[in-house]
Amino acid sequence: MHSTLKLTVSHAPFWHNGSSISSKSRNILLAGLLAVIPGCLQYGIAAVGVVTLSIASAIIWELVINFISRRPVSVGDGNAALIGMMFAMMLPATTPWWAVVTGTFFAVVIGKEIFGGIGANPFNPAVLAMTIVMVSWGYLFDFNAALLNYQFDFNAVYPLVLSKSFGASAVDSFALTDLLMGKQIGGIGSTFGIGLILGGVYLMLRGYIRWEISISFLAGVFAAAMGFNFFNPELYAGPGFHLLTGYTLIGAFFLATEDSSSPVNFIPMLAYGLLGGVLTVLIRNTGVHIDGVLYAILIINLVNPIIDKIRPKALGKGV
Amino acid sequence: MIKRSFFGLVKPKLQYEIIDEAPAEPISISASKQILLLIDQFPDSAGNDLFKTGDEVRRGQKIAMADDAPAYLLSSQSGQISKISEFVGMLGKKYMAVTIDVKPDAKRDVKSDAVRAVDESFKKACQAPSLDNAAKYLAGLPGKPDFSVFSDPEKPVKAIVVCGVDNDLLTTTNQYVVKNNIIAIKTGIDLICKISGISHAIMVVPQHLEQVAGSSGAIVKTVDSEYPSAHPELIVQHILASDDGKSMSESGIAFFSAEAVSAIGAAYNTGIPPLEKIVTVITKDGNKRLVSAPIGTPLQDILSEFNETLNEGDRVVFGGPMTGTSVFSTDYPVLPDTDTIIIQDKSQITERDDIACINCGECVRVCPANIQINQLIRFLEAGQYEEAADQWDLFSCIECGFCSYVCESRIPIFQHIKLAKHTLESMKAAEEINA
Ligand code: SF4
Ligand code: SF4
Repeated sequence: MHSTLKLTVSHAPFWHNGSSISSKSRNILLAGLLAVIPGCLQYGIAAVGVVTLSIASAIIWELVINFISRRPVSVGDGNAALIGMMFAMMLPATTPWWAVVTGTFFAVVIGKEIFGGIGANPFNPAVLAMTIVMVSWGYLFDFNAALLNYQFDFNAVYPLVLSKSFGASAVDSFALTDLLMGKQIGGIGSTFGIGLILGGVYLMLRGYIRWEISISFLAGVFAAAMGFNFFNPELYAGPGFHLLTGYTLIGAFFLATEDSSSPVNFIPMLAYGLLGGVLTVLIRNTGVHIDGVLYAILIINLVNPIIDKIRPKALGKGV
Repeated sequence: MIKRSFFGLVKPKLQYEIIDEAPAEPISISASKQILLLIDQFPDSAGNDLFKTGDEVRRGQKIAMADDAPAYLLSSQSGQISKISEFVGMLGKKYMAVTIDVKPDAKRDVKSDAVRAVDESFKKACQAPSLDNAAKYLAGLPGKPDFSVFSDPEKPVKAIVVCGVDNDLLTTTNQYVVKNNIIAIKTGIDLICKISGISHAIMVVPQHLEQVAGSSGAIVKTVDSEYPSAHPELIVQHILASDDGKSMSESGIAFFSAEAVSAIGAAYNTGIPPLEKIVTVITKDGNKRLVSAPIGTPLQDILSEFNETLNEGDRVVFGGPMTGTSVFSTDYPVLPDTDTIIIQDKSQITERDDIACINCGECVRVCPANIQINQLIRFLEAGQYEEAADQWDLFSCIECGFCSYVCESRIPIFQHIKLAKHTLESMKAAEEINA
């Protein structure tokens, strides 16, 4: 049985649905642009600079690691670019270049590559990096101070700071529709609510992010904020405010849903999202930190392996 | 190829092929010059003293390694053995490859030649059908009936299940037989019930064939059209377990394909075992056609019937798109269990990749066996097969291939699973021998 014709021989299955990591990254990047572009319009060329530098440096860090560890070049899957963009979306437009580059180093190298690369990171790389730079250079991320030199036609105070220091009544001046339209200060890609929601819905419909996580995260924020507001409406702002300020929306749609650090089973996904949402409000309302999303996500990332143990029995086992 | 749908909110679905109202007659193909028979080799059955090159064989004659060997084929043509060699298949499985030159005159008048030449001893067996002579003469029929389940003392067979469903996508062989040959199936079922002494016969068909199947006399059950619900293991779990409870899945069940059952019926009734296999052939352009070809017909003859030319890098799959086997030569023959042949152009092939699992969870969503494949694959890739089996349910896998089909990292998960199972099983076998 020999012939000169060389046929392709491989293992079943002989079909594939055509999905790939790069198409997933591409779609998430596009969805993210819905929030990034309005952010750039608001903050001008400085924001564009931060975003492009962040994406570029993330890709370069990954290339460097590929080179050092003599592994095949993996930037083609778009994951490094995605991490870079997620990171930039959380930054204020005034972030200095060295903070951006250090941040993407933390994200790509410490957050992802030293754990073994894509799929092996226990924490969302961008969130981890953001937390590190915030702890290290807190003054850079005081949005009020950072964005002082901008002229806005709306109240240019970071809403979460207001509510934290002066209670719920202080944030009455923020109409929810304004918050939704991005009339608030904050990270480059974190404030334009409509864009984030549209992007998130698109990703959920197409199955690029797991809807269970996003929806339950938002539900967690809503329920917890509602509870606080119910007991002390003077002190604690309502659920609408919490849903539309800080990193809530970007957290629910883009950060908590990162593949590697989140569960894959149905009930665990719901528990994971819900816990993240509740923790967010808990930290905002009772903790010392202004925004709770990042810490909440790191905590749920941490418990993810334990939660994901809740799973259906395999076929033929313990029926 | 069915691609990922635009919307991915719900888990992906793959539908079995459904045969339309009046299926076209299968195209008859005859082996032009040679047939090739691949016969399972067992470690203890090495060496063949029954046949040698140059022997004459007749249509219907049994070709086996030894007289009582459980694996054998029936020659579908009369002719002369021109070559006996060894053939190594998937995971190192060994076969004896017997090439038979078809005698020119046998080709001209197959029918009368067959009647004349058929093994006299089988004719005698037809007088008194029994499980013994079925196992001895009929295991090589199209559809590959397996009679060995009846001889397992640990699991007495309680039910006979006739599958009128096809076990992979694109395949329509069994549906075709149900639609066109229900009478023969009924004869076959009656016969198997009689010789095995088991009266509990169940016929499993797709919904649209429920009516037709009714006239088989067996209890009719339907499965939905979503892959892989027609998998025998799932039929046991979901369809049979519902009325008989647990006892059913623990006792033995004899599965037969509809094609095999109708062939058994015909063999006993006429004294001539039917040796034409019905195959669904899918050509490069995606057209599906039914073909009836003698077992042993080489791929080459089927290609020339459809004027298909193969180029470097194309792929030919024997079996369905999810579970079949790709072959490396156009000599590869139609075997009793070849339900489908798919010819894929090089451009239709999705390359596999060696990127690590990104934990997207697609595989977990589709796995019918509820396996945590995102975890399992990490152990498999690291070669830690024992942990994979103990902690991550490796052996629950029913081998449907769905996980590899959806994997975003394009990991050949199914291949890893097969290799792991094979490695563990051969380790176990080796231990038993040494013990
Ligand atoms: S082949 Fe994959 S999807 Fe199918 S049962 Fe096995 S692990 Fe599950
Ligand atoms: S589909 Fe592939 S990449 Fe996704 S979780 Fe399963 S094994 Fe990992």
